[in-house]
Amino acid sequence: MRKTLVVAAAGGALAAAGLVVARRRLGKLRLRRGLAALRLVARGGVRYTRSAPRLFAAAGETREQLRNDLALQTAQDVADTLGAMKGVLMKIGQMASYVDDGLSPAVRRTLSRLQDSVPPMSAELAAQVVTQELGLPPERLFARWDPEPIAAASIGQVHRAITRDGRAVAVKVQYPGIAETMAADLDNVSLLRRMLRVTAPSQDVDALVTELRDRVREELDYRREADNQRLVAGYYRGHPTIHIPQIIGELSGRRVVTSELSDGARFAELAGWPQHERDLAAETIYRFVFRSLYEVHAFNGDPHPGNYLFHGGGRVTFLDFGLVKHFTPAELRPLMQMARSLCVENQPEAFRRGLEDAGFLRPGAPLSTETIVDHLGVFYATIRRPGRLTITPDYASAVVRRFFDLRSPVAAYVSIPRSYVILQRINLGLFALLGELSATADWRAIAEEIWPFVQGPPSTPMGEAEVAWRASRPVAARS
Amino acid sequence: MGSGTDQYADAAGLVARSAAAYVASVPTDPADDGFFGPASVTWRVSGDLSSIVAGLRALLVQALHPLAMAGVDQHSDWRRDPVGRLAATSSYLSTVSLGDRAAAERAAARVRRIHEHVRGTDPVTGRPYAASDPALLLWVHAVLVESTIVACELFGTPLTPPDSDRYVAEMAVAAELVGVPAALVPASAGELRQYLSSVQNELRCTPAAADAAAFLLDPPGLDADIAEIWQDVRDAAVAALPEWALDMYGFGAPGALAPARRTEIRQALGVLDVVFLGEPGVLEARQRIALRMRTAQRA
Repeated sequence: MRKTLVVAAAGGALAAAGLVVARRRLGKLRLRRGLAALRLVARGGVRYTRSAPRLFAAAGETREQLRNDLALQTAQDVADTLGAMKGVLMKIGQMASYVDDGLSPAVRRTLSRLQDSVPPMSAELAAQVVTQELGLPPERLFARWDPEPIAAASIGQVHRAITRDGRAVAVKVQYPGIAETMAADLDNVSLLRRMLRVTAPSQDVDALVTELRDRVREELDYRREADNQRLVAGYYRGHPTIHIPQIIGELSGRRVVTSELSDGARFAELAGWPQHERDLAAETIYRFVFRSLYEVHAFNGDPHPGNYLFHGGGRVTFLDFGLVKHFTPAELRPLMQMARSLCVENQPEAFRRGLEDAGFLRPGAPLSTETIVDHLGVFYATIRRPGRLTITPDYASAVVRRFFDLRSPVAAYVSIPRSYVILQRINLGLFALLGELSATADWRAIAEEIWPFVQGPPSTPMGEAEVAWRASRPVAARS
Repeated sequence: MGSGTDQYADAAGLVARSAAAYVASVPTDPADDGFFGPASVTWRVSGDLSSIVAGLRALLVQALHPLAMAGVDQHSDWRRDPVGRLAATSSYLSTVSLGDRAAAERAAARVRRIHEHVRGTDPVTGRPYAASDPALLLWVHAVLVESTIVACELFGTPLTPPDSDRYVAEMAVAAELVGVPAALVPASAGELRQYLSSVQNELRCTPAAADAAAFLLDPPGLDADIAEIWQDVRDAAVAALPEWALDMYGFGAPGALAPARRTEIRQALGVLDVVFLGEPGVLEARQRIALRMRTAQRA
């Protein structure tokens, strides 16, 4: 049986803020040209999503070929390869795409090269990490251990294994020393700030730097990822279409995380599936994103195509919980108020207040509320009115374009508060993905099912199945 | 020098053209391992993060020899095309270190040919010079070798004393290739130091050297952001200068770099390296070199 395990980071988001500026500082992009390039690329945002899985495959082939020859053999090799900001650049690049797909082809190329430049660990080095982390060498810890990694993660790699009780698992092993190296590099705030300034002109750079640093730090500790995955898996246990691989706690630690191995079709293969299958897959992803946000108060900031496996009938396995943002009720409240006042109650003034309360819009901006709704309403276009609607690549591009439209009259008054930085990935990543699928659904009706302030009736067969699932869950597990 | 935009384009060319030069110098199908080979210290340091600092520091020190400086000033077009000049130099250096023997010899022969025409009189000292003068060639060679060791020490992976000796000895062949008699070339780190102090009384900061240094440290036309990253490289190169060079340029002693600043500079060098890596062919060229080094390591 062919097992496919796709690990986040690797092929997906190859964007890197850093490089735009580094490049620019070296002279390729003047500020103005840089911005023009961002706008240009904004148009290509969807194309990028399409090409991501291919990039991943290409990177994988390169690795395969060079695996034994160039494998990192010591912690010093790791430091040479990923020290001096390189690991951080890779990570931040990946994350910058959560907030910003506006990267020039040159920057994307640079990032994919950076990704490709990192060889896997040698079998010995990986085994050494497992031994240090879990107390026994992998051959003794597992009934079977595949010393050849099956996938690369940005700061580690994934091995297949079979546990002593016979479960097929994926074991993600972190490069040794990488956490310390990257933590030190993340302290260079002024360099990070410089790197992000151009890429995200509409963002509050300090907020962005702080948020990205926090998220990267979290990602360096796999126990955090395991916790996130357990939390989300716990919530979705028994869900009709959403599957989260189970974490094997006793085989996980700070630098090793073991979870149930999943197989399924990759995103790229969906292109060959019938449209109704694609629609179902899209519906599941949509439900997953918003249910997680509103009910688990968590958002997986990494909805790139490599993180899904598809099984037909709308069943989707969600992988990689390294980058999960948790929200407090206070942080969620304004988001709900905004959706509610704009889409449900049709109260533009209240919508505006919500934007101001959350810190998205400077209070007292000299703009008519009409202008604001006109410009920011595009982000709600799929849910403002009931009825079936197809999310086209054009719509996804329009969202991205609007996001980066610095000539827009509202641009000067809009910024993204730190708490919501990662959420931009909904606008920039999720819609690009759904657009890629040309997914059709009554998104508004699905949103109503999920919105805590509406709790609408099931609007699709999947919605019906969710009702049954929710009813069957133990009370303690309900939110 | 044209509009600001053009100057900006020049600076961008520096990365692209140095990268192209590097890629072209790493053979895909080498006839032999060249004059150094995959087990050499030379190959190892050629990939060090600190190379750009070594290069800048070397240029700053080399410029302090009035005759060497006069030759560059009067015969090369570095003012008009500094990027082209730097790319040509880095192409030459990497061909000699990483290319096979035939390629290295061809490149060296070409340099020797060009040097034949580089003669004149230094306006400051009134002394005649010729680029083919072994004394000048040795100066340029020795400074580069020393700068590499110093830059590795401060901002890269430091060489152990035995490896420094090996590196100096290995590099002797590079000096011979451009026409320095073997007997004159330092063969150990100690000899290198000795040689460098022996020529110190010939050195001075001529107006041409001051110009060149001013250009290198603060390339005209750079906007604030370029100056920002260049500042890291510049600070690194200046911090790596010997005291007497600082005195001649009138820089004053910058004092030892704080560890935090060194870390920052290394991080900036890492960012630069990533940009370099993004240029076409650089990754493959590096992998070709790394593979051969690995193979040599195993043997």
